[in-house]
Amino acid sequence: MSVHTDERPDPGLPAGEPPAARPTPRRRVLPSPVSGQELVLLGVIVVLWIVLAFATPAFFTAGSIQPLLVATAPIALVGIGMTIVIITGGIDVSVGAAIMVCAVLTAKLLVDAGLSLLPAVLVSMAVGAVLGLVNGVLIAYGRVHAIIITFGTANLFQWLGLQIFASKTVNGIPQTFDVFGRGVAGRTFGVPHAFLITVVIAALAWWYLRHTAGGRHFYAIGGDANAARLAGIRVQRRVLLAYVITGVLVGLGACFTIAQGTSTLDQSVGSGKELAVIAAVVIGGTSIMGGRGSVLGTLLGALLVQTVSSGVTQLGWNSNLSDLFVGVFIIIAVGADLLRERARRAR
Amino acid sequence: MSTTTPTVSEPATPSPRPSRTEGPLGSRLLRAVLTQRIVLLAILIVVVLVTFMVMDAGDYLTAPYDPDYLAAALINAVPLAMLGLAELLVILSGRGGIDLSVGAIVSLAGMVFGFMYGEWGWPLWIAIIATTAFGALCGALNGFLVSYIGFPALIATLATFYAFKSLAIVINSQRPISTPPIQDLFSISRSVELPVIGRELPNIPLGIFTLLLPTVIVVWLVLARTTYGRRLFAIGTNDVAARWAGLPVRDTRFKAYLYAGAISGLVAVVTVAQFASARPDAGVSGSGMALPAITIAVLGGVAITGGIGRVSGVVLATLLIVWLNAGILLAFVGNEGSQYQLLALGVVLVFAALLNGLTNRRFTGAR
Amino acid sequence: MTPEDPSPADDPAPDAPGVVRLAMTGITKRFGAVRAIREADLTVHAGEVHALVGENGAGKSTMIKIISGAVAADTGRIEFEGAEVSIGSTTDAMALGIATVYQEPQLFPELTVAENIFIGRELRTGGRVDWSGQNSRVVELLQLLGLPERYATVPVGTLSIAEQQQVSIAKALAGDARVLILDEPSAILTDAEIEVLFTVVRRLTASGVSVIYISHRLDELFRIAQRVTVMRDGRTIGTHPIEELTVRSIAELMVGGILSAARGERTVPDGDPVLVLDGLTRTGRFHDVDVQVRRGEIVALYGLVGSGVSEIAACIYGMDQATAGSVRLDGRAIAPRTPQQAQRLGIALLPANRKVEGMFSFQSIAFNVSSGHLTLLSRFGLWMDRARERSVARDLITRLAVKTPSERQAIGAMSGGNAQKVVLARQLVERPQVLVLAEPTQGVDVGAKEEIHRIITELAEQGSAVLVVTSDLPEALRIADRLQVVRGGTTTVEFGPDATQVDVLAAAAGAVDEEGHAA
Repeated sequence: MSVHTDERPDPGLPAGEPPAARPTPRRRVLPSPVSGQELVLLGVIVVLWIVLAFATPAFFTAGSIQPLLVATAPIALVGIGMTIVIITGGIDVSVGAAIMVCAVLTAKLLVDAGLSLLPAVLVSMAVGAVLGLVNGVLIAYGRVHAIIITFGTANLFQWLGLQIFASKTVNGIPQTFDVFGRGVAGRTFGVPHAFLITVVIAALAWWYLRHTAGGRHFYAIGGDANAARLAGIRVQRRVLLAYVITGVLVGLGACFTIAQGTSTLDQSVGSGKELAVIAAVVIGGTSIMGGRGSVLGTLLGALLVQTVSSGVTQLGWNSNLSDLFVGVFIIIAVGADLLRERARRAR
Repeated sequence: MSTTTPTVSEPATPSPRPSRTEGPLGSRLLRAVLTQRIVLLAILIVVVLVTFMVMDAGDYLTAPYDPDYLAAALINAVPLAMLGLAELLVILSGRGGIDLSVGAIVSLAGMVFGFMYGEWGWPLWIAIIATTAFGALCGALNGFLVSYIGFPALIATLATFYAFKSLAIVINSQRPISTPPIQDLFSISRSVELPVIGRELPNIPLGIFTLLLPTVIVVWLVLARTTYGRRLFAIGTNDVAARWAGLPVRDTRFKAYLYAGAISGLVAVVTVAQFASARPDAGVSGSGMALPAITIAVLGGVAITGGIGRVSGVVLATLLIVWLNAGILLAFVGNEGSQYQLLALGVVLVFAALLNGLTNRRFTGAR
Repeated sequence: MTPEDPSPADDPAPDAPGVVRLAMTGITKRFGAVRAIREADLTVHAGEVHALVGENGAGKSTMIKIISGAVAADTGRIEFEGAEVSIGSTTDAMALGIATVYQEPQLFPELTVAENIFIGRELRTGGRVDWSGQNSRVVELLQLLGLPERYATVPVGTLSIAEQQQVSIAKALAGDARVLILDEPSAILTDAEIEVLFTVVRRLTASGVSVIYISHRLDELFRIAQRVTVMRDGRTIGTHPIEELTVRSIAELMVGGILSAARGERTVPDGDPVLVLDGLTRTGRFHDVDVQVRRGEIVALYGLVGSGVSEIAACIYGMDQATAGSVRLDGRAIAPRTPQQAQRLGIALLPANRKVEGMFSFQSIAFNVSSGHLTLLSRFGLWMDRARERSVARDLITRLAVKTPSERQAIGAMSGGNAQKVVLARQLVERPQVLVLAEPTQGVDVGAKEEIHRIITELAEQGSAVLVVTSDLPEALRIADRLQVVRGGTTTVEFGPDATQVDVLAAAAGAVDEEGHAA
């Protein structure tokens, strides 16, 4: 929020010669880095935390906050990719099934091949990238709406995942991934590593989307794909990239999901996650119509969703009520945006 | 969309398109297959039936793939086709119309039906009507958000999906309702012999006649014969032109969601009868009911952009999927079959979508 | 300059004071059966403002599309700074330094002004966009255009249309344009904004940029252009230094020797007006519009693009609401809030943009005709009376001479003229008391145009009050009993049936004082 120091009242026509001295480059070259909606979201989260802290004294203990952050991590992480996809005007409803594929494959490799941490993570991300590539190619070059394609690939991925499961749960998963969040080894200053990694990646993505030409082009494509093409942007490649990025993050998110659970992985892994991720992105202020959105909002959206679900449990309510709140939050977040937009247009 | 609005007189006919009757038989057939979804689906159904019958003859299946089996499999067509029709209505309405919440409405309305019929002892027909009305109410919420407030349909129905799903589970504290009256309902889903000619034919599940056929006929009549159907196609084809033509755009779109909700309410009754129990997760377990329903609609040739779609396409797409699934189930041992059903559904959907895109570009000159 | 030689020389005259920057010779372009450009020549000098004028359909737009690479010419030769070039795509044109500012800004509303200007060719330092480098360049451009500097970081979507257009100009300039094409830049601007635009254009030409300036407002050419090329029927019929021209003489060149076909002899019945617009105003769009249409009369509202003329039609039809003044129908004040209400009052409207506002593309002719009259063509407003629908559609197909094998044919596959007749047929299902026709023959071939004009005249003779809103002057003169010129958002001058094209054109272009035809 810098101040315009050299603001001059514009007299209509700057007379005569252009000014000899170049105007000093202003510090603020993009709109405010934090949108109003994100501030509101932050406020809501803070209020919820305070309310929960009063309602259940157990809420503000490490034993309660840490699992919350661990659970937030995969949703937020995949949400980063989903944010980019939605900014380009697309959507990916296959991420839940893709998480399943990556998770079961990686878990099996941990059990059977005894893979160590880094190779396991890399394999998972590579598999995710391939799945994302499938989506991306079909959407960018098949010129079919993303939701239809990803509904289709969701089925394919689910089949693939179930095949790898081979009708059995994966048992005895070694503790290779504990470093992501379980136990003392998985935390630095009490913050689970999964969450830290997510925040770091979110920061990178935020910077990328905001400060690189490639990042800005995602917004242009979502705003008007045809105009973007005319401006010389390689639209199809960019769209492809968005889905591949999502795939890679799905791969990492799958590792977090394994780390989150016990030593057993069952076939419900990833199920319904696509909707949770989309909910987090939408609550975070990213427009489903494309062209607008931010990773920061998604992070906060994921945190809000997880806070609600954690809060509902800790208050001793039926845990399924949290979905009702998620629905209500989506309506409020998007509804507020619609009303603002309408007010802006009426002006 | 592609260029700036032309101010010069535009070319009279951009590209002279070969008329439908031209060309040798082969290319005419190809065009029919690619442009007439009904033809393609009919051919695919024949291919599926012949393939599995051949496999059956060669003893590759675990049980006979015969008319009796095919008829029995139709029980699965009831909820699938009905929800496919619900999606047809909302997708036709255009502006990115879609309803992710139909499965959740099935769950919630099913629980409501369970209370009314199973717990409170309401007469069956009143309970059915009330359940349908309740589904319509849920759909009306979607319609209100989409049509009057301006929510993107995907978002509105995602939100209501969560809300309805949650309510369905919470309403009876996660417990299903399976009191004696509900259990007795299972008889609705039995198969019956058709009168007069029935002896020659396999027995058909009763639900086909009591619910599916009436729904198919009503939706078909509404779309093809009523002023509402006209309005729905008009707003889906061109929302702006519909406004200039003086059509009530919002009201029409609102009702599409309402009707989809009502159909979902009916499906709730079917589902309760089929399970002999009102289950809180009936419509949302696994990949839920909405995704297959949307798949059926798209496979049936409904354009996701609105304004194009036919009841016959949805019905044939349902038959294709149901009989394909039935065959797959016999071709594999254990639950392998149900997994390969996922594969088949995915492949068929992606294929159909790519084909839609291709035919739209090649044969209608659109974009 | 070679003042008396209107056709550009094949070899650029070495003694010309202006160096030839762009020379186009023998350009032709066909769209299907339509010959949009025939043997057109255009020579643009360095540092000049070269106006390209002509009536709608004269070929201006196609000409600039060829220069900017949006379409390719069929034949002809294009030289840029002395070397022959082929412009196959917009990218080719941009690489040469040819930049185009279209009427509709191609901008990204969510991105900032600076980003829009540099989209696709960002300045970079390391991996990131050089925001401050871009910004300081943008600030220069904004200063040049007279926009506040702070706009650099404002999302384009929050700016006014005029400001957005200026951003488009800035975008074109940022690529170091050698030739800048401005396609009717003044159409949507206020007088003050036009002044700013002119200042910018002068500054650009002083620095050597050539500007091709397309405008319908002939008066403003005298304040900005050095030379004028007139187009008519796809031909360039001459290039003249501005000093040799007057608004009247340009209008004469545009119209040419071709007399618009004479209006048929018609006697308009006297009587009270059916439709009266009295001081109708919609703030920001148009103001104090006064129009009267009698039963059986055809009145044309003639106005250039952006004059507010199309918004007036929307207001009568209930698509928009007036903020002041009144619409009276048979002496009763009406204020329809929706098209349905307007229709119930007996008002029908043919929308201006056929594809966007008129057609249900992949539906049948019968569908297109009956939509909007579903209550009439059904039983109890619920059940379609398909026999009746079919017979109504067939009747109208015959009456309007729509060329089609059957009423079941999809409208999307039909030619522009046929499709327009179908959309017009929709307005005629119930004979309207007041019929408003917006651009009734835009994008329609000559034959269909004739027929549509005949139908309009017939309707008037059957007693409808017809208001034709058009930017096609020969059309207005040909069918209208009275013609009112809309300029600057209000009705100005009225002409009778004996008006000449040149008079009206001059009046609409701003030379009202020369001719004393004031109402």
